[in-house]
Formats: sequence, C-alpha cells, structure tokens
Amino acid sequence: MAALETIESFVEGAPPGEALTVSDPSLVSKLGPAFEKYNEEQFATVRLPGSSQPIIVSSHSSLGNGRYYDVESSSSFEYDHATQKASGAQSYVLEGAQADLTKSTLKSLSPYVKEHFPNAAYGVYPIENDSKVAIIIVANKYSPNNFWNGRWRSLYIFDPSSGALEGSLKVDVHYYEDGNVRLLTSKPISTSISSGTGAGIVKEIGNAEKKYQDELNRGFTSLSEGAFKALRRQLPVTRQKIEWDKVASYRVGQDIGGGSSRR
Amino acid sequence: MASADPFDSALDLLRRLNPKHTTKHLQSLISLAPDLTEDLLSSVDQPLSVRRCKQTGRDYLLCDYNRDGDSYRSPWSNEFDPPLGSGGGAGSEGGGGATPSEKVRRMEVKANEAFDVYRELYYEGGVSSVYFWNLDDGFAGVVLLKKEAKPGSASEGSWDSIHVFEAIDRARMTQYNLTSTVILSLSTRSSGLGDMDLSGNMTRQIEQELPAESDEQQIANIGKLVEDMELKMRNLLQEVYFGKAKDVVGDLRSVGSLSEAGRDREAQRELIGSMRR
Repeated sequence: MAALETIESFVEGAPPGEALTVSDPSLVSKLGPAFEKYNEEQFATVRLPGSSQPIIVSSHSSLGNGRYYDVESSSSFEYDHATQKASGAQSYVLEGAQADLTKSTLKSLSPYVKEHFPNAAYGVYPIENDSKVAIIIVANKYSPNNFWNGRWRSLYIFDPSSGALEGSLKVDVHYYEDGNVRLLTSKPISTSISSGTGAGIVKEIGNAEKKYQDELNRGFTSLSEGAFKALRRQLPVTRQKIEWDKVASYRVGQDIGGGSSRR
Repeated sequence: MASADPFDSALDLLRRLNPKHTTKHLQSLISLAPDLTEDLLSSVDQPLSVRRCKQTGRDYLLCDYNRDGDSYRSPWSNEFDPPLGSGGGAGSEGGGGATPSEKVRRMEVKANEAFDVYRELYYEGGVSSVYFWNLDDGFAGVVLLKKEAKPGSASEGSWDSIHVFEAIDRARMTQYNLTSTVILSLSTRSSGLGDMDLSGNMTRQIEQELPAESDEQQIANIGKLVEDMELKMRNLLQEVYFGKAKDVVGDLRSVGSLSEAGRDREAQRELIGSMRR
C-alpha cells in the first residue's frame, strides 16, 4: 500500500474527538480528501462565529467547494477540513419542493433531540434533486480527563414518494487509560411511514432509536454473560485459587473442571 | 519539522486506532518507518498465533520471545520449527537458536506443566505456553494464554494474555517485575442489534519481592503473581467493557426523557430542602 493511502486509513480510523493532527504542511494538503471524508462521515460539528448552536458537516449538507449549509440558522459557511474551523458565513435561504417538509421535520426533531440527547447537533436537508430528505443527529461526549470519548450517529433518508425511511445508527466509544478499548456498533434501519409528515417521521425515529438502545443494552449483557464468561472463569470450579505448591499433584482432565468428581 | 519522537508518535497512534486491527496497523507503521520495526515489534502486544509442535503434537503459542529469525521454539519439545540452519553446530548458546540454560529450561518445563493446569482450571480450553530466558542476575520469562470462544457463531470472542516478568536475585529474596497485557475481543450480531464489537487491550504492572529458595517456589511465586494479576484484570475488563462503555452510551443518548429526569431531580432537591428547614 502506498504511504499516502496508509496515512489516509489512519486519518479515517481516528476515534471520536481525537482527530489526527499532522505537522507536515505538504502532507496536510495531500490529506485534504481524507480529512474531508472523515469529517463528512463522522458528522463533524462546528460553531459559526457568534452562534452557540453546533452545525453539522456532512455530504448531505455540502454545497461543494468546501461550503456547507444549515437550515435552522439559514446560513452557509466555508469549512477547513484540516483545522475543523468554519469561516465566511453567509445567509442561506432554503427553497425547493422539499423545503416545507424539511422545516416541519426540523421543528419536530428539535424537541425530540433535546429530550434524549444531552449534547447533540441535528439537521435536515433535501437531497438528490429535491426527491428525498436526509435527517442527521450526532451526539458527542468527550471526557479526555477520564480517558474516554463517545459519539452517537443517526442518519435517515426519507423518500416522500414511497414513504420509506432508511438509515443507520452507529455508536463509537473509545476508552484509553493504560490501554485501548473501542466499542463500535452499526445497525441499519429500514421502515416506512404512512403519514409522511415531519411529526410522523420524528415519531418513527424515536421508536427506532429507543428499540435500538434497548437492544444495545441487552447486547452488553449477552456479551458479558456469554462470550466473556466462556473465555475465562473468574475462579476455578472449586471456587478457590490454585494451591501453587501443590500444582504438580493436580491431575488435569476429568478430575478437575468436571464439577462433580472433585479431588 | 515534527518535534515529536517518531516511536512515541507511533505508539500514540496505536493507542487510538481500532484495537481490533492492531496487527494490521503495526504492519502499516513498519512499512512507513522501517527503522522502528524492532522497537515496535518488541513493545506492541498483538493477538497470539498458535502452532502445533511436530515432536509432541501439542499446540503452542508464538511470540517475539520464542522466535529466532523465522523459526519458533516449542515449549514442549524445546525444538525450533522450522529447524534452524544446520550450520548451528557452532552455536555456543546451546546448539543453534536462543534456548535457556539447562537449569532455567528445567524450570521452564515445570512452569509449562503448572500453567497447563492453570489454563484448564480457568479457561477450560485454549492454549498456554511459557518461555524462560537467562538474565545476568536471575531469569525472565513470558506466560502466554489464549482462548477463543465460538468462532464463526453469532457471538464470538477471543482472549490473549501476555505476562512478561523478570525474576531478579536479591539477598534471600527474589524481585519480580511483572507487566501484563490482556487483549480481549468480543462481538455479536443479530437482526435487532445489527453489529456490535467490543475490542481492546489493557496493560498493568506490578513489582514484588518474595522469598524463593527452590525452583518449585519460583514457579509458585510466578503462578500466584499471574493468577492475582489476571483476576484483577478480568475484573477491570468487565468494568470497562460492560460498565464504562455502556454508561458512555447512556450519556450520549438517554432512553428516558431528559426533561422528566430533570423535573424528578428538581422535585428531589426541593424535598430535601424542605426536610432541612
């Protein structure tokens, strides 16, 4: 693999809140596309000067040439993918066939996000020539003092012509105190909505996300009770630590671990 | 331009990139910075490979400590596979390849037997290997354990333990320095859950002085140190994988309503406030 490709794969694999820094300026410019891909896929958030609301950077809110837009604040801005900073904010007025659905979805999404995500950004954008609507929620929690960072990403594409709502839910948690532990989850969503209103879409999103989070919590329990326990016991069947001065006299096989026929 | 030490930067990167693919990332880093090859291979723990001993038919584990060139030494037969070059007759250190002295090899044999029992009692399967080598003022070794759970099924996992120690002679006592790494990978999938992967590694160290007047006592000391360390690390892994990671998900998204939770807290505060008055 070429060196640049290798470094690009490192850029794309960075955990939440730990974007790679590159000190060589010529390399930074070569890595532009990798930084762009990383920021758009991770739904990087940025605050416009003078605003407190975080705004999402994604392929669905891209205007091209490094500019992105946000419906709620009616603004567009230029985004530097290497430094993750926004500049050149301008007003941006949404128009087109899906403008009403976009705004009504945003209106319902806002209270839902506030009810379930302590720290999240969200956005709704008409896509594919005004034929569909993309809905994004990204929640970040960074706690570098405690050596962990986490991100929740929701992406939905709603097709008004068929009523289909498809997307994915992803969780990424990194813990790195004297180690490196990573939780990575991904769940595809495929459902449909009869009403086709913004409120109907958000209601379905709420159902899907609650169901998924319950499943995920069960996943922790099943891994803990299943695979983890099957790998290594906390103590031998005898519930006692090994008597190392007698270990030579232990007989491996049916005598030990057989449960009933203990020594 | 870059003021950071390349080796430190490489280690920092490996602490951040997905630990499930450490071996792949390590190979990538080595191809970018071949100068770091030896340093990285000796300081980054990777999941262990298993090989079958041609002499005894028993499985053993491969690591940097039983490697000589492209050959690995079996702890069961003390033979290298593939055999080292026939010119090895000239080898002054025990006939071709790095093998421990006769005395240390005797202890190594006993340690392998002891940890085979340990493996069966705690892992109820898997593979173990112990390798010792001589030091000027004592000896050193590595205790390796590996277990895989249900590979290929909906819920799978693997555990690799790597315990590297030094046993240094002191007057009447032996000083033990132990560095332990556990690499634990778990994953599960279902239609409701999608894919869930919990993978990583954690490292801990301890130092302890213990009396050791015989080879048996040496092995008992090492056994106890490793057993205590694994118990501690298993508890730690359980806490981080199933406690911490789950809590972080709950911090990202609340299953219940945040405003209701806020109202409940407010009501509680008022109640406590009124009781104080």
